[in-house]
Amino acid sequence: MTTHDTRPGSTGGADTPGPLHGGPDDDYTPEQLAAMPREDLDRLGARYDGVQILHVDPGPEPGSPMERRAVRQVGLTFTLAGLSALAFVVVYVGAGWFFPDWQWSVSGSDFSALFTPLLGATMGLALTLVGVGLVLFSKKLLPHETAVQDKHDGSHFDRVTTGATLVGGLHNSGLARRKLITRSLGFMGGGLGLMLLMPLGGLIKNPNTGDPLGRTSWTEGMRLVRNDGSPIRPGDQEPGSLETVFPAVPGGNRQSDAATMLIRLRPAQLEQMAPREGQADFGYGDYVAYSKICTHAGCPVSLYEQETSRILCPCHQSQFDVTQGAKPVFGPATRSLPQLPITVDDEGYFVARGDYPEAVGPTYWNRERI
Amino acid sequence: MSTTHPQSDAASSDAATASPVARARARRRSKHRRRVANVAGLMASLVLTGALYSVFSPAQAAPAEGANESAAEAAGRELYERSCISCHGENLEGVPNRGPSLIGVGEAAVYFQVHTGRMPLVRQEADAPDKPAVFSDEEIDQLMAYVQANGGGPTLPSGDLRDGDVAEGGELFRLNCASCHNFVGEGGALSSGKAAPSLNDSSDLEIYTAMLTGPENMPVFGDNQLTSEEKRSIINYVQTIGEQADPGGAGVGRVGPVAEGLVIWVVGIGVLMFGIFWMGSKA
Amino acid sequence: MAATATAPGAPTTRLGKTATEIDDRLIVAGPLRRTLNKVFPDHWSFLLGEIALYSFLIALLSGTYLTFFFDASMREVVYEGSYAPLRGVEMSAAYDSALNLSFDVRGGLFMRQVHHWAALLFVASIVVHLLRVFFTGAFRRPRETNWIIGVVMLVLALLMGVTGYTLPDDLLSGTGLRIISAIILSVPVIGTWAHWAVFGGDFVGELIIGRFYIAHVLIIPAILLALIAVHLLLLVKQKHAQFPGPGRTEHNVVGNRLFPTFAAKATGLLFIVFGVIAALGGLVQINPVWLWGPYNPAQVSAASQPDWYILFLDGSTRIFPAWDINLPGDYTIPALFWPTVVVAGAMFTVLALYPMIERKLSGDTASHHLLQRPRDVPVRTSLGMMALTFYGVLMLSGGNDVFADKFDVSLNAMTWFGRLGVVVLPPLVYFLTYRICLGLQKHDREVLEHGIETGVIRRLPHGEFIEVHQPLGPVDEHGHGTLAYGGAPVPKKMNQIGGARRAIRGFFKPIEEPAQVELEQGREGRGLAAADEARELTSSGRPSEGGRPQEPRD
Repeated sequence: MTTHDTRPGSTGGADTPGPLHGGPDDDYTPEQLAAMPREDLDRLGARYDGVQILHVDPGPEPGSPMERRAVRQVGLTFTLAGLSALAFVVVYVGAGWFFPDWQWSVSGSDFSALFTPLLGATMGLALTLVGVGLVLFSKKLLPHETAVQDKHDGSHFDRVTTGATLVGGLHNSGLARRKLITRSLGFMGGGLGLMLLMPLGGLIKNPNTGDPLGRTSWTEGMRLVRNDGSPIRPGDQEPGSLETVFPAVPGGNRQSDAATMLIRLRPAQLEQMAPREGQADFGYGDYVAYSKICTHAGCPVSLYEQETSRILCPCHQSQFDVTQGAKPVFGPATRSLPQLPITVDDEGYFVARGDYPEAVGPTYWNRERI
Repeated sequence: MSTTHPQSDAASSDAATASPVARARARRRSKHRRRVANVAGLMASLVLTGALYSVFSPAQAAPAEGANESAAEAAGRELYERSCISCHGENLEGVPNRGPSLIGVGEAAVYFQVHTGRMPLVRQEADAPDKPAVFSDEEIDQLMAYVQANGGGPTLPSGDLRDGDVAEGGELFRLNCASCHNFVGEGGALSSGKAAPSLNDSSDLEIYTAMLTGPENMPVFGDNQLTSEEKRSIINYVQTIGEQADPGGAGVGRVGPVAEGLVIWVVGIGVLMFGIFWMGSKA
Repeated sequence: MAATATAPGAPTTRLGKTATEIDDRLIVAGPLRRTLNKVFPDHWSFLLGEIALYSFLIALLSGTYLTFFFDASMREVVYEGSYAPLRGVEMSAAYDSALNLSFDVRGGLFMRQVHHWAALLFVASIVVHLLRVFFTGAFRRPRETNWIIGVVMLVLALLMGVTGYTLPDDLLSGTGLRIISAIILSVPVIGTWAHWAVFGGDFVGELIIGRFYIAHVLIIPAILLALIAVHLLLLVKQKHAQFPGPGRTEHNVVGNRLFPTFAAKATGLLFIVFGVIAALGGLVQINPVWLWGPYNPAQVSAASQPDWYILFLDGSTRIFPAWDINLPGDYTIPALFWPTVVVAGAMFTVLALYPMIERKLSGDTASHHLLQRPRDVPVRTSLGMMALTFYGVLMLSGGNDVFADKFDVSLNAMTWFGRLGVVVLPPLVYFLTYRICLGLQKHDREVLEHGIETGVIRRLPHGEFIEVHQPLGPVDEHGHGTLAYGGAPVPKKMNQIGGARRAIRGFFKPIEEPAQVELEQGREGRGLAAADEARELTSSGRPSEGGRPQEPRD
């Protein structure tokens, strides 16, 4: 910049700062500042920031054994950090080149199982050592000063003047008098807000159409099949066994509400049978089928204890008794596991006699109504 | 976890290069198999034993036959009457409220219960804990012979017990086993003090016989429910992941979030708290 | 005015000139100086929030890396990657990409683990920071706003965790997602509608991973970043609170200036946090999704748990009794609703409103910049301990199956322990904490009045034995100290007031020669031996002169 600029767009050098520009620059001329040593300048600036340096405990004397030792320590720490970082690079790049392959496999080399730990160890060490070095540096080599900074809760002057500006602006707008504008503004705000919210309506769907929560894929005559799709005969299971079965529809074994436990009871369990009301004939011989989906939070319950007849849910430890219509006997679940009515078709394979008589899975607000 | 399991290690070797240990076991098994080969219930499993069976059995089976059959049973009966009879009763009939009848449980059940040390029981508890086996392998063979001869039942499998597809085994494991034994066979709690044991130190044959016989509260997985191949797949899976190294460092028990939470609080927050104490201390 | 080369004080070095050039354009010298001169109090507990900040930073960086490889899609694919035990298994693309990230990306597993550990540390350090703020009363006026922002960030951190935990779509997280679905369903009246809105239909649908993904990588982090900015701005504006001590008042901050001491230490801590997480990320395996397997609604594992920060909700759900509420008209409020939505909602609401509650109860509406020692506010401290106990019992119950299994306890007994413990233990802890606080308070007053127990036993002429007490300051005619309690720690051992040998310096190992220190102390006249000669006994057996009052330690 030059002092006289006469090009178009400039004010020709007549532009001087206004009277309010000053601040500290008015208190101290450049000459005064130039004459002050650096420490004084530092303290001067600090004072303008409301900071007073009470006490400085200088670091170790230059050239003293203490300093030399501290410098060695810090230097060593940073060097080790650098080495460790390089080790990371070597491990990362070298794997599969001059080291064995990093790609882990079940029967892989020892190195592949060490690859990630080596990366972690080297990077962790490098970064930690950088941090340790910095802390050592600040603790052992930097001067320790105690400084005090003033704290203000808020300026009365600022409040009054800002308030005046705000209220003045509002007053000038005349909104308090011009009711039509405020009212229409309010109306407009409401309308706009609603309008902008509307696209979220795309998320809303009616959960009650077709009763998806109350129905599953099980229908009358549908075969009970295993995970691999094979049907099941009554002779296939031993007493005291449980098999997870699915409806014989495509993707039946991935459905979230269709999984069913087909349980063959032991004779002793049969003697204790106390089925739920109206569901005495839901089983077939010594077989019963219950929904695998917990009535509490929907986890698959299948921790079947064949001696105690209990089914435990691994998520919240609800326990159901298979001899009592899968009634909950412990834990937070409130409803019995729904029972699937089953029989055997002409070819001797298990089939369902219909869908579950009630909704499967966790309880919800209007469950009893649909 | 990188602990090695001598038994399962030995059994993991391929069918083609069957180790001496595996061969010895197969020989022992085939001996019993000869003896009960005429039992009709055995036919199904015989069909399923596969090619290995034919490799091992014909050579050694014939001479052993007949000679010590009844001797083994008699020795088994003697052992039974010494150690088991108080709970399981005379002639394997069981004693109410003490021990179940052993008629028809088969040698597989005997093998599992006695080989894992669950039987003989020290005292009645929520479930029988595994402990070092009380009987020697020979004595177990004799007990198995005795129980098998009196009522039959599931028999020991033969061949490579890991001869199955590991991925399919994984699917079956997660569907049938993980609910009690956890993703990786770590085991888990059941109701009222019972627990599904960890499979980490179990041998292939123990896992197989457990599935076959459904000891205690475990459901039975008969051969028509999980075929012998499927059982082998499951064993292959659970032993594979049990033995495989953890690629991401220490496995912290492989129990998931609870252990990880402990680590972050004890190690993570612990180390950092120490760090900031050190930073805040005066030099 | 334009700076010319000849002006006094004009920079002569190249660096100085560059700085001037920059400041000519950006006018940063003033604000920069104010920032550099900002004073931070020097206490370890003020660094806890920084740990949270740094771990968030790591989570952000490592998470960005993960997005390069992650495919947030529920499309069914067949795994063909290099992890043999899953090859050929059907799974979602999300799980497939998480496996590829772990096994087929060089260093990918390391980054995944770093990300997860950073997330766990993020929440853990927020909790520790929150406890510090709570127990020292740092949330009082004027800092209520920052407290509320902090609580909101904690909730967002939990949401961040839940959404992130769900993304790999493994069997563990899928089980968690199933429970989330059940919780949404359990809300009275709008439950099913809310579920349909979130999942786009019945569980599990095809959308949820994609939706959680965008919430996890964009929506929640954006809000969190904005809140962190406001949190820090408010901190700078309001300046740090500090513990009471010599020279510390409500109107100042005593400590180190930002530059260079505090900056060096803070940067050091940044690297240490990075280092600890990197070490954990490589050395300790976390969330090995390949062991969990892909999600399938029919499969589950024993001991399925959420990450530790959600464990308390899992625990409350486990111990809640089976209480469905059946309303007329065949409507039901499921039992699941209470321990999840209501408990979590109530806990965080009370937490967020605590400053207002305490203000109402104590009537203390003044501005506070000096922190309190927990013992001086026994009600708050006891309430805090009570809440912590409540939380602790819930958390323990969340892992009760693991504890039952590992320590061979009955699972049902663990559940009952949780049910009873959550009711009985908190009041008990309240009472105990209250008594301990009062006891500590009393001891402080006692030391101020009678002085420190020196351990020196004197025999008086008439045969009575007394222990000599060292007063902390001037004493009145009865030999009682006249110092008032100022809220700062009271020295209770002779070496804290220089009455014993000075401690040998060095944190890990001594860095001084003991003999050297002995000599130095002799010169300074420190220690009991040096003071002994000057000490006289009053008739009451106490030193007539109060020794030198020393600055209390902090």
